[in-house]
Amino acid sequence: MSTVRLSQLSKHYGQTVAVHELDLEVADGELLTLLGPSGCGKTTTLRMIAGLVEPSGGRIEFDDQDVTWLPPRARNIGFVFQSPALFPHLSVARNIAFGLSVKGAKQAAIDARVEEMLALVGLTGYGARMPSQLSGGQQQRVALARVLATDPRVLLFDEPLSALDRNLRDTLKYSILELQRRTGKTAIYVTHDQSEAFAISDRIVVMNAGRAEQIGTQTDIYLQPRTPFVAEFIGSNNGLPGTVSGVEGSGEDARTIVSSGGMLLRSRSRVPAAIGDKVVAYLRPEDVVVLQDGEGSAFENVIEGTIERVIFEGPTAQLRVDIGGRELRADISGGRRLLFAKGQGRVRLGFNELTLIAAPSDSPAGVDGDGEQEAAPTA
Amino acid sequence: MAEPLSLPLLSSAAEVRRRERNRRLIGLALVAPAMLLVVAFLYYPVTFIVQMSFTLGSSYLSPQGPEYSTANYDAMFSRYLPNVLVTLQLAGLSTIVNLFFGFPFAYILVRKVRYRDLVRAFMVFPMFGALYIAFGMRFILLPGGPATPLFQALGIPSTAVLYSLPSVVFAMSVFTFPFMVMNIGAALSNVDPTLEEAAACLGARPWQTFRRILLPLTRSGVIAGILMVFGWNIGTFAEPILLGSMNEQRALAWTLYQRGVVQTDYGLSSAMSVVLLVIAFAVSYFSLRYSRGALVQ
Amino acid sequence: MTAGEMSAPPAPAARAPGAQERARRVTSRRLVDLLGHAYIWFVLIVFVLPFLTLLAYSFTGPGGTYAIQNFQYVLGSFGENLWWSFRVAGLTLVINLLVALPAAYAIVRYPFPGKRLLFSALTLPLYVPGAVIGISLVLVYNFTYHLTTSVWGLVLAMAVGTFPLMLTPIVVALKDLPIVFEEAAACLGATRWQTFWRIVFPLIGPGVSAGLMLSFIIVFNEYLVTLFVHPPEITTAPLRVFNLVRTAGLAPTTAALAVTMQLISFGAVLLFFRVFGTRYLKGTYLI
Repeated sequence: MSTVRLSQLSKHYGQTVAVHELDLEVADGELLTLLGPSGCGKTTTLRMIAGLVEPSGGRIEFDDQDVTWLPPRARNIGFVFQSPALFPHLSVARNIAFGLSVKGAKQAAIDARVEEMLALVGLTGYGARMPSQLSGGQQQRVALARVLATDPRVLLFDEPLSALDRNLRDTLKYSILELQRRTGKTAIYVTHDQSEAFAISDRIVVMNAGRAEQIGTQTDIYLQPRTPFVAEFIGSNNGLPGTVSGVEGSGEDARTIVSSGGMLLRSRSRVPAAIGDKVVAYLRPEDVVVLQDGEGSAFENVIEGTIERVIFEGPTAQLRVDIGGRELRADISGGRRLLFAKGQGRVRLGFNELTLIAAPSDSPAGVDGDGEQEAAPTA
Repeated sequence: MAEPLSLPLLSSAAEVRRRERNRRLIGLALVAPAMLLVVAFLYYPVTFIVQMSFTLGSSYLSPQGPEYSTANYDAMFSRYLPNVLVTLQLAGLSTIVNLFFGFPFAYILVRKVRYRDLVRAFMVFPMFGALYIAFGMRFILLPGGPATPLFQALGIPSTAVLYSLPSVVFAMSVFTFPFMVMNIGAALSNVDPTLEEAAACLGARPWQTFRRILLPLTRSGVIAGILMVFGWNIGTFAEPILLGSMNEQRALAWTLYQRGVVQTDYGLSSAMSVVLLVIAFAVSYFSLRYSRGALVQ
Repeated sequence: MTAGEMSAPPAPAARAPGAQERARRVTSRRLVDLLGHAYIWFVLIVFVLPFLTLLAYSFTGPGGTYAIQNFQYVLGSFGENLWWSFRVAGLTLVINLLVALPAAYAIVRYPFPGKRLLFSALTLPLYVPGAVIGISLVLVYNFTYHLTTSVWGLVLAMAVGTFPLMLTPIVVALKDLPIVFEEAAACLGATRWQTFWRIVFPLIGPGVSAGLMLSFIIVFNEYLVTLFVHPPEITTAPLRVFNLVRTAGLAPTTAALAVTMQLISFGAVLLFFRVFGTRYLKGTYLI
């Protein structure tokens, strides 16, 4: 059981920066997920924590021990790979026993532990089988048992479910979560799959191009994204660029007025912004309500547009609305889905939840500089 | 939270460099025994004979020390020129024979035949050594041996067949045939069969498909095969000795043995070796230039 | 003897073929296929013919009767030669293995400059004519290393000549081994040494065996370099065959020895194929 701390951790390959001065603290017993698109540096970070890759700079600490330069075998970690990586020439039992036998444990103790681990992952009796005789899901469970057998202080998961099919993924991710809770071990999990991250994490680090864009709980990053990347990467979002044109009220009633594409939008978003600052107003499709005649008084913002397309998805219907040259997506669920089935004509949209994020200076996405703006990681 | 880290960052860079250097050193240490073996028992000896080739006879041993001259090379290109030519002739002919018969064999093997492993098992026989092939052939072709009735029927005196150029070339070709076939076969198996089908659909006849599609694509395998076959055959002496007439027995490898080991004319035999090496590497050089590095995959 | 034709893919028809024409084309294709197979078999028979005739000859006794005493000869008078062949081959295999394993591992897993050049340098012996290796080693053994009377001179000459055959299959096997196994072992607490012996070595077993087999059959049957380099008291079996044929001509006993050598070699190859198949020999260009 251990805390993990990364201080200014970085990795570059020649001119390419894979991980840029990452600061991160993982609490004891927490399951923290590194979430991001491929190439964002999450796997590199994980492998540096494991010791499989040497950092170009920075520090890694487990509790208060500096492990930055320790080889993997000295860190007492458990690493679960994308492929189960079970040693094909060893039986299930000997695979699980491997970590203990290389340390010279006594056979009786090893056997007991193997049984214990098999029971833990629900594979009692499979000890004598060979890896090739197991299904993908079973192999991954044996891989779990194998890393847990050595009682590591930190568990590291490198997209362990991406090689499995859909249904297996769903059941296995909850097994992983349960195991982590039961053993109480600190875990760092890497994935590009948002639903996986949301299902099991205590906190999530959204990464992009080697940097941490935001660290927070699921609700934090979903409802209060701090950078354009997070706003757009997590779930779907409409981004309306505009300029701050005014500030109203104070305290709970404070509103920022944004002028965007000929509309004036009111946002409750508490962003320190001066008049004239460029911002992007983000609006989630499910927060847009398609209004019928007479409705709208409950909403601070009501805009009009022309329906371009309606996509009926089953539980939801997606409306693509042209609001003065830009396209807005609105998701309707429930009874109202069928109201606009014909997909034509003018429509009024109402919304309250508008998140404002400072626009990047001139780069199309992500933050510039050292990420010292809203994307600064929380301690 | 993190303290200001300019100092640790600097030492990180140094640490990274130190570790990379260590890894390089360990790597080199692991290869060192192999390098030692090859340098001590191949490269150094070869440089030794290059030096030796410029000494006269066994003067290296003499108390006055070695006499240096290029006389050995003069001899190579005058008195022993026929030997060089015969060696080239034998190796060249067997290479051509191997190419001619080996390419179709490899093609059929790779494209058509299902019992490939069985064929491979049979193909190891030549690999056991040219010696047994030559021995076996000599037995077959001996007057009074099994082939004599056949030759009598054809009206050829069997002695003419036994100790002759064709039988030496034949034996050499048989020995190196698997090398050629395997190199070509490996290259052929990387050629998509649908390319040949596409060519046929476009109207190409078999010869055209071969010349314009197969040959260019299997070039590296053909080159590797030629290299291997030629290299082996310029250095062999079992076939020429056991199956050849006086002419073939002048193959350089045997002359080398006679002069070098039996008559201890170290200078001359070294010069012969150098000539052999130069020939072998000239062939390699030109072939590799043509094939874009077939051997180092 | 005609070279086997490459089977011609059917030419595109200008019009729909009539039944007669179709039948003709089908049989012509089948004929070509048959010719192809016949060619293969013809060549294979040519390969095996010397062996078979020697086999037949080795059973002839005086007066043209069938006899197996020639093989008793093999175990008796030639026994020492056979024993030397096995001994030299065994020592060569050990040296090759001990030298090739770390070299292969370094080439595949460690970073250092000039790897391709190094690999070429290590596999070059295969392309140097045997006589050149022979004479150069004779000279060096006489003047520098003073190895003329030891079996090690012969063994090391064999080792350098067959080293590429040991190295290449092991390198190929290592390249094919996913690195994730070693990473998993490292994370589980194993040292590099433990990882190598408990995980890597078992998993490259087939590659190692391929190297062993190839080296064995080459060294076991080697006579060319042996002729140059062997210490006077040591005569391996193939060298004995060569000397006998050259001096005493053909004799059934010599044939018996040659046959025995080939049978042992063939047995080793069959054993390997049985256990591992031919997959692990790719890249050696020998089989």
